[in-house]
Amino acid sequence: MPSLFGIRGSDQGARFELEDPATRLGRDSSNAIQLHDTEASRQHAEIRCVDNVCTISDLNSSNGTFVNGEQVRQHRLASGDQVQLGSTLMLFTCPSDQSEEDLARVIDIASPQQTDDQSQIIHSVTQEEGSRIFEFGTDAPQDSWLARARSNLQVMYRTALAVSHTLDIDQLLQRIMELIFEWVEADRGCVMLVSPESGAVEPKVRRTRKGIRPDEKIPISKTILDFVMEKNEGVLTSDARQDDRWNPAGSILRSGIREAICVPMQGRYDVVGVIYIDTSTSPQEVIQKGGTTKFTEDHLKLMIAIAHQAALAVEDTRYYSAMVQAERLAAVGQTIATLSHHIKNILQGIRGGSYLIEMGLAEEDQSVVRRGWKIVEKNQNKISALVMDMLTFSKEREPDLGPADMNQVIGDVLELMQSRAGELNVQLHCHPADEMPTLVFDSEGIHRAVLNVMTNAIDAAGEKEEPGRVDVRTEYSADEGVVSVTIEDDGPGILADEKEDLFKPFISSKRGRGTGLGLPVSQKILNEHGGRILVESTSGQGSRFTLQLPAVVAESSSQTKVN
Amino acid sequence: MEVRPRKSMEVVTLVVERSVLIVDRSEETREVLSTALERHGVRTFSAGRAQHGLELARQLHPDLIVLDLELDDELDGSTGEAIAPFAQESAVQETPMVLLGSVRRSAARLPGGEFVRKPYHYGPLIRRIEELLGNRAEIT
Repeated sequence: MPSLFGIRGSDQGARFELEDPATRLGRDSSNAIQLHDTEASRQHAEIRCVDNVCTISDLNSSNGTFVNGEQVRQHRLASGDQVQLGSTLMLFTCPSDQSEEDLARVIDIASPQQTDDQSQIIHSVTQEEGSRIFEFGTDAPQDSWLARARSNLQVMYRTALAVSHTLDIDQLLQRIMELIFEWVEADRGCVMLVSPESGAVEPKVRRTRKGIRPDEKIPISKTILDFVMEKNEGVLTSDARQDDRWNPAGSILRSGIREAICVPMQGRYDVVGVIYIDTSTSPQEVIQKGGTTKFTEDHLKLMIAIAHQAALAVEDTRYYSAMVQAERLAAVGQTIATLSHHIKNILQGIRGGSYLIEMGLAEEDQSVVRRGWKIVEKNQNKISALVMDMLTFSKEREPDLGPADMNQVIGDVLELMQSRAGELNVQLHCHPADEMPTLVFDSEGIHRAVLNVMTNAIDAAGEKEEPGRVDVRTEYSADEGVVSVTIEDDGPGILADEKEDLFKPFISSKRGRGTGLGLPVSQKILNEHGGRILVESTSGQGSRFTLQLPAVVAESSSQTKVN
Repeated sequence: MEVRPRKSMEVVTLVVERSVLIVDRSEETREVLSTALERHGVRTFSAGRAQHGLELARQLHPDLIVLDLELDDELDGSTGEAIAPFAQESAVQETPMVLLGSVRRSAARLPGGEFVRKPYHYGPLIRRIEELLGNRAEIT
């Protein structure tokens, strides 16, 4: 339904729905919309709506009816129009009469084959060209109000671009300074930021015009700086000696500044810094040019706008990097917690084993020594696996490629896993492919990848009360050039919300028992081979992991090996 | 009536067998502790899960319980969820406990227990268990 929303005047905030075909507006209470405005006439205007097409007519009011600042007798309203009656300003809105589900029906993306699409592209504009929207053409009027407005818009547009394209504060400020120098005749300039830690104002970026010695000091009056920071106002000093506000300190006197602009960088919450530019004109120049100043109020206003943009960007960047830093710290903390928990358990195991060995030696009881040794050995394997996983994960490495037999690799893994499977009452079943040529791959890496997936499968299958089962299958397809290892368990399956984190490092669904490195390491190894890991899982029925990699048949032995 | 003197053979010496219940997730820890304690003439029972441990405690009334505070796989057991059943169980209220954990606050639910920080050394742990068992024998 079309409506009016009061945005200025006594009826600010009020909303009037135009539900009747004709709605009268005026000061009198007989009007459907009564305006609490002494400047409005008793019967000021009327809006007629037919099928969401609304027309406003002035009813010979004394102060007139204005739409978007222009006086009208009768005017067809468009959504977004500002209607002014007396001192009351209202926003007219008219929703489109189409609901969202209609949109798909009424918007038809026509394929080229469809004959009723006769449109041709007559002009296109790249993103780059679009960004030159405010640049002058040769016919642009010089030195007119319009030219200045266009120039200002261009500067603001480029500022907006500059601040949106970088996340490095120094770079960003450098760019802002460059922009300012392109547009105003400044000799020296600098940006100073309030240090978030100390609260002190620290110079960040400085720039000097060509011809000015770059190592020349920029003297900035502390009085000006304090005024700008405290009052949050930009200042333009055209001649410091005549400006009473700066008189007591008198530092400008000594530095000889003739003109300066200093503006606060006002962000959303705080003043984050100041931007300062200055220029000096020698007495000779003043005489030559007739005493015109280089800096104007326009410059000051635009500088304030630029500084605001820059401040917003500085705030965003700081917020963003603080967030990244916090996340990184949290991740590091989580990593260390997981690893140290794991290492602590291994250490506890080694201490237990050593204790038994010591006891066995003291009592000369070989059987106790052996039991202790078994525990030590098991934990030694655990820490070696952990270190290997950490190494694999920690850096970019090249797979150590060489000819190897996939069935053999799987057989080795199965043999290693037998004891663990036995402890958890899980049966391992192997189904090697009948046809498996010698392939080129990193056999140690793939061993590791399969081992990690298999460990998970056995743990999952072992979670049940009844005996579990894990099936391992190798397949080779010469046509597709793919070799795959499938590991299937009959465990509880993977929960939907766990699936997302499956390959994220240091996140283990086994909580304290897993390092959270197993699957990420397996995936990394497969990726190094140009392969991948496919996961299928049904809650309550088990999971199937397929490790798939391109099969590169070894040159020396392309003959098929039959198992 | 003839009164026959009692034969010395008939004097029965009652050897009070001390018992310890070990509730720990790690099979290795259970094995090491039980092997070591059995050598010192202590009878041991072990369980890997809280519920099983609790059942054993109710049935066997051990003289001491060694309890792993990280039974539920949680990283540091700091919520103490794993041992909550023991804190609520009246059958073990009077039983001395040795609590094995990484952070002291995980033992908060069992204020009477003696906290031992992981990773611990077995020698001192076994000696401490012996001491606690000895104290208990004197009291009873």
